[in-house]
Amino acid sequence: MLQLVRAGVRAWLRPTGCRGLNALTEEAVPQAAKPESVASAGPQAPVLRRCELPVPAPRRPVQAWVESLRGYEQERVGLAELHPEVFSTAPRLDILHQVATWQKNFKRISYAKTKTRAEVRGGGRKPWPQKGSGRSRHGSIRSPIWRGGGIAHGPRGPTSYYYMLPMKVRVQGLKVALTVKLAQDDLHIVDSLELPTSDPQYLTELARYRRWGDSVLLVDLAHDDMPQNIVAAASGLKTFNLIPAVGLNVYSMLKHQTLVLTLQTVAFLEEKLLWHDSRYTPLYPFRLPYRDFP
Amino acid sequence: MAAVSVFGVARRGLTWIVLGAPRREFWSRFRKEKKPVVAETVEEVKEEPILVCPPLRSRTYIPPEDLQGRVESCVKEIFGSSVPSNWQDVSLEDGHLKFGLLARLADDLGHAVPNSRLHRMCRVRDVLDFYNVPIHDRSKFDELIASNLPPNLKITWGY
Repeated sequence: MLQLVRAGVRAWLRPTGCRGLNALTEEAVPQAAKPESVASAGPQAPVLRRCELPVPAPRRPVQAWVESLRGYEQERVGLAELHPEVFSTAPRLDILHQVATWQKNFKRISYAKTKTRAEVRGGGRKPWPQKGSGRSRHGSIRSPIWRGGGIAHGPRGPTSYYYMLPMKVRVQGLKVALTVKLAQDDLHIVDSLELPTSDPQYLTELARYRRWGDSVLLVDLAHDDMPQNIVAAASGLKTFNLIPAVGLNVYSMLKHQTLVLTLQTVAFLEEKLLWHDSRYTPLYPFRLPYRDFP
Repeated sequence: MAAVSVFGVARRGLTWIVLGAPRREFWSRFRKEKKPVVAETVEEVKEEPILVCPPLRSRTYIPPEDLQGRVESCVKEIFGSSVPSNWQDVSLEDGHLKFGLLARLADDLGHAVPNSRLHRMCRVRDVLDFYNVPIHDRSKFDELIASNLPPNLKITWGY
């Protein structure tokens, strides 16, 4: 009974969600649902994906196998072409380090605070006269050299470590991370994240059979369209994490050993990341509406 | 349960009519749901053995002696009879042909081209060179132990 009430309340109060990101993914989903590849229903028809965005002349697309999660043995369902500017860019480890430390530190607010000699209770009076008592001269009992005194150079109040790297650096960080994952054979492309069961054991055994590694980051396109089986399986596992495409970040990619992307996610990422190569400098911030923002 | 009782207490007129009769059905549904669970688990276990994990494969790959012949026959099957005599120079630009050939060879030899090297396979010659390289699954320590060591060097790997 309570479950029905809860379901009813949830349906009635469905939230509109974050306007900017959801709007972007909703626009991307009908575009990405265009059938670029041959129907993946039959076992004989391979799923081939071509690069939609133009590849500059001397460079040629990089390729990866398209796998399937529906069976243990379905490791070569098709062949996907990946844009070289995203998946085969220069391996800038310094940019990876910059972006990963930025991700770790920009959210940090340290709340440590100590009292200075002015804030410690007491210590306004000179404890003994300057001359005559034989003891060393002091002005207050709460100076930093005294026991119980204030701290001279301690942490002062909540400190924010917020800073923003330029948008193009963060975008390049994502491209380099994807490149590194592909170059080290830790990137797997999947036609869709549909599983035959919602058992987490199936997912772990699949990863073990295909030698993916201990931790796997599964990326789907949008939060709402994720199949129920994969959501249930990933929620039961600690090292297998499922995120939408807008949640992809360098720190998570480095933290997990394997990265699994769907074909729609690859198209989404290529479009978003390549737009920054040839854009004009913004006249007003990008978070305000633009007509041609991807 | 608390929400139901709150609703029932707050507005008595309609909700009693609404919740009174179906409430018994809800409770009886809960009572009925508990009983068949015991019988269903037995049936579920029988359906799942289809998804049994196959045994783990080892990563060792030793190129077979008739590798050239196998690759040539695969090329002729995939590309059809219109293969020139210099079959090693056939280009793998087309996605269908490349996928067909590489998938066939991978299933045949039990060893697939990894993602990082797929873009380098432009001609059949590259595929042949890739498959000619043997791959061992031993760790560095096992290789050292197996190789010729001077008599005064001992390796003990007790992990």
